[in-house]
Amino acid sequence: MRPYSLTRRLVMTVLFIQLISAAAITGLTVIYEHHTHFHSFDIMLHGRADSLLGAVQDAEDPGDNVMLDGTEVSLPSSDIYEVVDANKRLLGRSRNWSGPNESDASLKEESFFKLRLNGKKYRVLKIGGLRMVDPGDKGGGIPRHVTVIYGSPTESVWRAVWGTVAFYALTSIALLAISGLLMFWLLNRGLAPLRELAAEAAGVSVDSWNFVPSERVRMTKELAPLAGALETVLHGLQRSFVQQRQFVSDAAHELKTSVAVVKSSLQLLAMKRRTVHEYETGLERSYLDCERMEEIVARMLMLARAESEPDQKAAEYSTNMAQSVKLVMEQFETMANVKKMKLVVLGVEEVVVRAEPEELRLLCSNLILNAIQHSHAGSEVRARLKRQGSVAELCIEDDGTGIPPEALPFVFDRFYRSDQSRSRNTGGTGLGLAICKAIVSRHGGTIDIASVVNSGTTVTVRLPVRDA
Amino acid sequence: MRVLLIEDEVRLAQNIASALREGPGFAVDCAEDGETGLDLAGNLCYDLIVLDLMLPKVDGLAVLQRLRQRRDRTSVLILTAKVGHSSIVELLNAGADDYLSKPFDLGELIARAKALIRRSKGFATPTLRVSDLEVNTVEQTVRRANELVELSPTEYRILEYLIHKPRVVVSKRELLEHLYDYNWEHHSNVVEAHVSNLRKKLDAATGQPSIETLRGRGYRLLVGAEGSQ
Repeated sequence: MRPYSLTRRLVMTVLFIQLISAAAITGLTVIYEHHTHFHSFDIMLHGRADSLLGAVQDAEDPGDNVMLDGTEVSLPSSDIYEVVDANKRLLGRSRNWSGPNESDASLKEESFFKLRLNGKKYRVLKIGGLRMVDPGDKGGGIPRHVTVIYGSPTESVWRAVWGTVAFYALTSIALLAISGLLMFWLLNRGLAPLRELAAEAAGVSVDSWNFVPSERVRMTKELAPLAGALETVLHGLQRSFVQQRQFVSDAAHELKTSVAVVKSSLQLLAMKRRTVHEYETGLERSYLDCERMEEIVARMLMLARAESEPDQKAAEYSTNMAQSVKLVMEQFETMANVKKMKLVVLGVEEVVVRAEPEELRLLCSNLILNAIQHSHAGSEVRARLKRQGSVAELCIEDDGTGIPPEALPFVFDRFYRSDQSRSRNTGGTGLGLAICKAIVSRHGGTIDIASVVNSGTTVTVRLPVRDA
Repeated sequence: MRVLLIEDEVRLAQNIASALREGPGFAVDCAEDGETGLDLAGNLCYDLIVLDLMLPKVDGLAVLQRLRQRRDRTSVLILTAKVGHSSIVELLNAGADDYLSKPFDLGELIARAKALIRRSKGFATPTLRVSDLEVNTVEQTVRRANELVELSPTEYRILEYLIHKPRVVVSKRELLEHLYDYNWEHHSNVVEAHVSNLRKKLDAATGQPSIETLRGRGYRLLVGAEGSQ
């Protein structure tokens, strides 16, 4: 697409409309001027023809004829005329008119016609009149019919008409040019807020999210919604960009540390000659280090999957939550026994929820594993599931170490560990609760945590129920 | 030489500590968080601090800043998993002496640790010479008047420490602190025995005394007329 200027387009549109108006006015002027000028021209023509008629006189000859007394009238030399009597006899003619008799019988009297003579255009009037010869005789004299044909060149009239039209047309064009320039300038000024907004928006980048539209932009009725929308979008983008960047940086840190562990284990082993037993122990440790790295990678992928766009099919799933909870509790039975802990299933109601079964199981196992990892030997982990209206509520309680209040707001953050060194020792990746949160949000639910240090932690998950 | 390692990733800390003990024979104390690290650094005299950046309680940068605030001049080697130029500049400006990005090479870590220690004691090359005594810290060999002297690991470490501080009286307490980490039981007579053996081995080559004992004060490496290099 060709580059397109709003200002130019607007100016062109207005100028086009003005041009059409100017053309219309000019056209109307032509008609009006033509009409008025020719109207007075015709009156003048009539007057001259009449005065010529008045110059026809008794010839005082035996045939009682009439004659044209050339001394009686003074007419412009450019005019042409011809006076004919009823017998088509030419009584008189202007000097500049030669050639055939022009008095055409087919033309009615009192009518105008055009005539071209010696390359000049004339407007010609034909009138008739009666002339009384010997009006003093009995019977009032003899009437003689006379026809006068009188023409005058139209050139000067047309010159007057075109002069006026040219004046109007030129004035219109000049006005068009002036108003075009004026409009260009005004539009440029008027569109300044738009340019400001564009400049401000152009300044936004991943390193500088600062977008503050000027007061002028905010106060412009047409731009305020756009500026507001831009601000909102940029805020959202910035937030997710910063989060994403943080995640990448955290993930890089975790992975690099894991790689550092594996690498250093192997380098330490290779530093000098060792006994077979030392090699065996070292290799076993390296193997465990690798497994831990594997787990971190697997969990990060899990989180990335869970955090991808909301599950469109969430509404279609129907999973028996009670079954999932019981199943996971059974799976962890052995682990709890090793730690000399008890897993207790308190009232578990039969509830069917809209959740993908595999993710629901992952959610439960993450929560129960967390509870076990943060509990002392001999304590209990309790699971409770009940239905509250259209919501299934799952509570996992432990009597463990608890989470300090200042750490509570961050426990769902990725890679957050309330006590880093301790959790690393127990094998935590800092992703468990973040994965839980992602799974729950994906299914339109909520997750909350309440904790008292050295007394225990309760995690509450609420998921929408599917009614049969 | 005694090193303080502040690193929260337990397995990595174990590996680094083992490498520093086995390689250059340093005594290594480990701290798992910034707070413990600061306590240890305040109570004991270290030749080098190896500091991780992401630490629980007090993070690495804060540890570094507090160390420098209380006028601790110990060399600090930073371990970082962060990428980005600005953080490195920030660290060096905050008083760090060197840094290594994770995952690093253990050999490089050892070499940098040794370089930092020798720099802090005023030497430029890994081979330290004081009059006719020469200690090569890379090969961990000792020569007296160009004769190779065989030393036990502890004897070598005592000599390495003494040669880093020529003409200075080093007390038994100081030697103990810099030779052993806090997992060892401290017996000053152990030091006496090691120093006595070391002196015998060094003097056997030339017959000239090498280490002077100042009663009640400690030991001093005797420097010949040529002076130190």
